[in-house]
Amino acid sequence: MTGRRVLTAAVIAAALVGYPFLDAALHVHTIHAVTDAMIYVMLALGLNIVVGYAGLLDLGYAAFFAIGAYAMGLLNSPVLGSPLYGHWWSFWVIIWIAAVISAVFGVIIGAPTLRVRGDYLAIITLAFGEIIPVAIRNLGDITIEVGGVRVVDRLNLTGGENGVNPVGRPYLPGHLFDETPASWYFLIIVIGLASLWAMNRMRDSRLGRAWMAIREDETAADCTGVDPIRTKLLAFALGASFSGFAGSFYAAKLQAITPGAFEFNVSIMLLCMVVLGGMGSLKGVILGGMIITLFDRLILAQMTFLVRGLGRSLGVAALTTVDLTLWRWFFFGLGLTLMMLFRPEGLAGKRVRPPRVDVDDEAEAVALAAAPPPPRAEAIPRWLRERVGANPGRDSGGRPLLEARGVVRRFGGLVAVNHVDLVIPERTIVGLIGPNGAGKTTFFNTVTGLLTPDEGTIVFRGESLVGLRPNAIVARGIARTFQSIRLFQNMTVLDNILVGEHCRLHASVAGAVFRPPSVVAEESAARARGRELLAFVGLADKADELAKNLPYGDQRRLEIGRALATEPRLLLLDEPTAGMNPRETETLTEFIGLLRRELGLSVLLIEHHMEVVMGISDRITVLDYGTRIAEGTPAEVQRDSKVIEAYLGKGYEAELTRG
Amino acid sequence: MSATPLLELRDVHTYYGNIRALKGISVAVSRGEVVTLIGSNGAGKTTTLKTVMGTLRPLRGSVSLDGRRIDGVGTDDRVRLGIAQSPEGRRIFPRMTVLENLELGAFARKDHAAIRDDFERVLTLFPRLRERLAQKGGTLSGGEQQMLAIGRALMARPTVLLLDEPSMGLSPILVETIFEIIQDINRQGTTILLVEQNARMALRVAHRGYVIQTGRIVLTGTGGELLRSDVVRKTYLGEK
Repeated sequence: MTGRRVLTAAVIAAALVGYPFLDAALHVHTIHAVTDAMIYVMLALGLNIVVGYAGLLDLGYAAFFAIGAYAMGLLNSPVLGSPLYGHWWSFWVIIWIAAVISAVFGVIIGAPTLRVRGDYLAIITLAFGEIIPVAIRNLGDITIEVGGVRVVDRLNLTGGENGVNPVGRPYLPGHLFDETPASWYFLIIVIGLASLWAMNRMRDSRLGRAWMAIREDETAADCTGVDPIRTKLLAFALGASFSGFAGSFYAAKLQAITPGAFEFNVSIMLLCMVVLGGMGSLKGVILGGMIITLFDRLILAQMTFLVRGLGRSLGVAALTTVDLTLWRWFFFGLGLTLMMLFRPEGLAGKRVRPPRVDVDDEAEAVALAAAPPPPRAEAIPRWLRERVGANPGRDSGGRPLLEARGVVRRFGGLVAVNHVDLVIPERTIVGLIGPNGAGKTTFFNTVTGLLTPDEGTIVFRGESLVGLRPNAIVARGIARTFQSIRLFQNMTVLDNILVGEHCRLHASVAGAVFRPPSVVAEESAARARGRELLAFVGLADKADELAKNLPYGDQRRLEIGRALATEPRLLLLDEPTAGMNPRETETLTEFIGLLRRELGLSVLLIEHHMEVVMGISDRITVLDYGTRIAEGTPAEVQRDSKVIEAYLGKGYEAELTRG
Repeated sequence: MSATPLLELRDVHTYYGNIRALKGISVAVSRGEVVTLIGSNGAGKTTTLKTVMGTLRPLRGSVSLDGRRIDGVGTDDRVRLGIAQSPEGRRIFPRMTVLENLELGAFARKDHAAIRDDFERVLTLFPRLRERLAQKGGTLSGGEQQMLAIGRALMARPTVLLLDEPSMGLSPILVETIFEIIQDINRQGTTILLVEQNARMALRVAHRGYVIQTGRIVLTGTGGELLRSDVVRKTYLGEK
């Protein structure tokens, strides 16, 4: 396997190095087109971070290309008198400055778009993509008059419609670029490979997992300890920085730039490259970028030549004047449509439809007959015991773990939660029951920060939670699961757990790329912990499967595993046994009891299965129409006439007295 | 059991995604019956309903309504033929009002006077919906959404009503209510095929039941027989 990989790498390296010589020897003159194609590949790779990894649809990415190109153009040109122009080092220094400027703009543009998703985000980026070329055009000639006095007279910041010309070239000692096209080719290869290396490492890091978690389910990511704002800004900034490199190279190679080169169609073409290749796949995006640019630059021109020749020899006049390059958007559109119809995952994307399998009946029957593995205290990972169990906050001097007082939450005129008090002591399981629509989940959401209470206080270990974002609340030790399971579907089981560990890890962007020993150690320890945790929840052999391929019961257990990975003191479970059969329900009930007994966790439990709630809760709070109508031990609550009337029903009461 | 069953699946094999979820299922529902299908997660219950509804096509086997094969008929036409479904997870239209949701249930019908009657009938069965006619479906509580999903299916005036997990996520008192309503609907003449996790309640209201395990029917009998059987008691009722 590794032998083959070395061989593949060697072949690719030889092809990359040998190509320009072959091109020169054969006099085919394709090297300029190939070099330009690589610029677009770089851009598409940068866009892939935003669209493919973080799942943020950006329709104005050409704006960053423009910013990168103009950063290089303006700083490395005599037009505006830049002091950085004219040195042998100019290009090599400015390319970094351009990347930083692009990243800064990434943050500036990213910031207002962070609250929006989907269509709205796309529209805002679209607008931004339009604004930048317009701004560049208009900032070339600024005159400001205040009361008849010209404060600013015909100031030129960008070169305006004429653009910037000339732009300085890169120099290497004893070698001037532009004498041989191969030097440009090798320069973009070096920049491209370095970028690829960095992106590859980012993807397989704490940060890459956070991006994918955001893409899969932003709310669940937030509630698992990933800060969505920071994570999305990093995607915008890093995605933009790569376009800074590509833009710099573009400006230097062309030695002149004009605003017309960065219009909307460039953004769309880049997006096409990412989609054609396969969102999120580095290989695919490279392939998509090369195919589209080379098709545009080489193949359409050659085909035009062929068709005209054909027309002449056949005597068809219409064919002799055809220009297929004018049809490029038609061909792109056609290609993309066919792609979406027959291979929506892209050229190199993971197959969405795996081959049909017919599971062996006997194996299945055995799996069904065997009850889900019973929870065992010995299987609790040691690290979990140490980090969660031996928590210094354990002896809080009798103070409850969580204390909610007078919590109110309104939706318009509806009071969903109405002055609710709820106290959760250490090592306690509290049941929260009530009719559908009574406000149980709304109350959950106020505790976990998805909703801010309109009134009241929520104090966790002496600290107020009101106004904190969900991820900040996770970091303080509260984890949750959802009524309808919300896993990161297209991530592996282990990666789901690792996203849970996110808030306990520290690797930064630089750490992710350069991987110092501390980061390597942290990452491998996190994986080891994740695998132990999977063994504990009974998913040891499924670590590398995609979460969406797990059967229902396993998905529930993975969601609880993910919550445990955040090292919580308090676990909020929203109908954990919904859709489980009695046997699975029983196992899960034991499991929840085990977490309390062995780890000293407290649990707040919404549940409709009465045998679960009544069986393991120490205290039960009953809500009806947002108001607490009862609180007490299970025995007290289930005999309460208000609870029977509003929630349990006469049938339950009858069964209780009978059995 | 001499007459042709109203709904019949014969040796049906269906893939759900890439998994062969049904491996030769035969189920017959006679006119006027409540028949329940019980089984674990992933056993093939929902796949069976989807095959009846036509959102999944069987690889082999036949689906017949009133003696006529309908495997080649599209889902929307099956609604016209008299099959309607209240799907798992309710799947109501969240941004449309309760009234609009119900109106859409009768989308395939042209008999306006009868639609009006059915509308009244649904609101009589579910008085809660009458109070909320102008409210958006998405703002209803879980129990109300379940009522809306069933009500919407009834608006198609089906001869066979398919119910997928109507008790899921409902409070005990609502579970009772829903099952009472299911019996009412049946008494008014609608044949019902009911899929349930809550085997105890389902078998109590059903005339007959089928136990499905990994895509095969392993047991069938009247509701009472199944309630007393060892397999059902151990696996699906959680008794020791």
